[in-house]
Amino acid sequence: MLLVGRRPSFGITSVRACSTAISFTGCHFRGLATMKEEGMDNSVDFSAISREKLPVLPPIVARNGQKCSSSKVQATPEIEKKYVHRVYDAIAPHFSSTRFAKWPKVQTFLNSLPSGSLVLDAGCGNGKYLGLNPNCYFIGCDISAPLINICADKGHEVLVADAVNLPYRSGYGDAAISIAVLHHLSTEIRRKKAVEELIRIVKPGGLVLITVWAREQEDKALVNKWTPLNQKYLEEWIGPGSPRVRSSSSSFSLKSIPETEENVSVEQLKDVGEESAEKNPHEIMCSNSNDGHSPLDSKNKASNLYQQEYFVPWHLPYHRAEVSGASVNAVANGLARKDDKKGAVVYDRYYHVFSEGELERLVSGVDGADIVDRFYDKSNWCIILEKTSS
Amino acid sequence: MRLLTHNMLSSNIKGVTNGFPLRIEVEKVVEKEVDLNMDFLRNMFAKIEWKALVEASRTMGYSELPDDAESSMLDSDEFLRKFHHALLELHLEEGALVCPETGRKFPVNKGIPNMLLHEDEV
Repeated sequence: MLLVGRRPSFGITSVRACSTAISFTGCHFRGLATMKEEGMDNSVDFSAISREKLPVLPPIVARNGQKCSSSKVQATPEIEKKYVHRVYDAIAPHFSSTRFAKWPKVQTFLNSLPSGSLVLDAGCGNGKYLGLNPNCYFIGCDISAPLINICADKGHEVLVADAVNLPYRSGYGDAAISIAVLHHLSTEIRRKKAVEELIRIVKPGGLVLITVWAREQEDKALVNKWTPLNQKYLEEWIGPGSPRVRSSSSSFSLKSIPETEENVSVEQLKDVGEESAEKNPHEIMCSNSNDGHSPLDSKNKASNLYQQEYFVPWHLPYHRAEVSGASVNAVANGLARKDDKKGAVVYDRYYHVFSEGELERLVSGVDGADIVDRFYDKSNWCIILEKTSS
Repeated sequence: MRLLTHNMLSSNIKGVTNGFPLRIEVEKVVEKEVDLNMDFLRNMFAKIEWKALVEASRTMGYSELPDDAESSMLDSDEFLRKFHHALLELHLEEGALVCPETGRKFPVNKGIPNMLLHEDEV
């Protein structure tokens, strides 16, 4: 038995990287890799999706609104494997180094919990919020093992798990948080399942805080740096669960996003690399002005008003990418691209940004919890639920 | 992994009706001291599945917990210390958690359990 030494405060064994709020002056930087004409990776191997033995969504999904069985809900879609899981695994240390500012709203929520509470953080990332209230005990989980390793190195109690299928017994937690997680789930069914899980794992009367990126962004310029995902992509990769598949015009095609700010400095890139979760680009309007007169323009603009599926780039500076090693393979496989001008490997992260009211509708469709608060803060839609029954 | 966590983990493999408690396979146990928090211990006592905690702590090499416990025992400092020690100060650093129904092993490395399921288990 090895005695490691006395921990100074209850439950918290780490020195938090930075507990003061650091202003993200650099976080509006958006590395502007050239957007591909097609806007997506055409080298996808769809046969990977159609292997019969795998209980995943059917390859070219039926258009008749086929309902997924609950077991298929928990199987990870390809888009999440490629553009969420592998990306976070590859960028974990760099990502973690940029995640230190504590969101006041989350802090308030956690500090409001009674002393001695057990708090479950599903999708804890680099563990930024674990231990934030020193009177509570936190257990974090994330699907990214590299990120969880970073949490463990700080002394947190963590495990690797899937937010859509949490390995926790029901009714155990006093509170649960899901901070900037659900927007990485690519179907409504999966997002709903994740909400059900959050409610399931807390006790009756337990509170759940959920935050997600909003389609309605405070900083409108930022959205211009995202890649909207087009119709073909949505149907093949996401399936009938996406409500926006039906509303988008069939003639909508992805326009390449015009490059701006070509002289972005590499120094900015090294310092920040990505905007914080609290600041998100505004929804993109395809045309550069709001005065598009042609029918095609207005049709595209109308489609973009509903656009919620995006790739959001992450710039991993070369000097960071070397450490990972995964980036070499990623570039070779088409999962990432090199941007020599910016000295970075560019990864795309998949997001389903939430429209106003969508989070509310999503949780309202789940039994067993009441909404006790809802708000918009720093370009995120947020909701607090209270579990009403076991 | 602390036994607090173990007490709330359950195998969620498709078809498993009762995946709790997971059996512990020990390769390496580490003890790490943590400050005692009365509020937390009282709160957790109400939630804990006591028998699973006792058995898990014995597997980890700690045999001080009584077979049965009730909340009045929390008034005893000695009991509190033992409960605290078993719940929070014993760490499974290396080993596995085993599904009681399927025998499937969830690895624990550097104190981190990996509870992710394979595609055919979902």
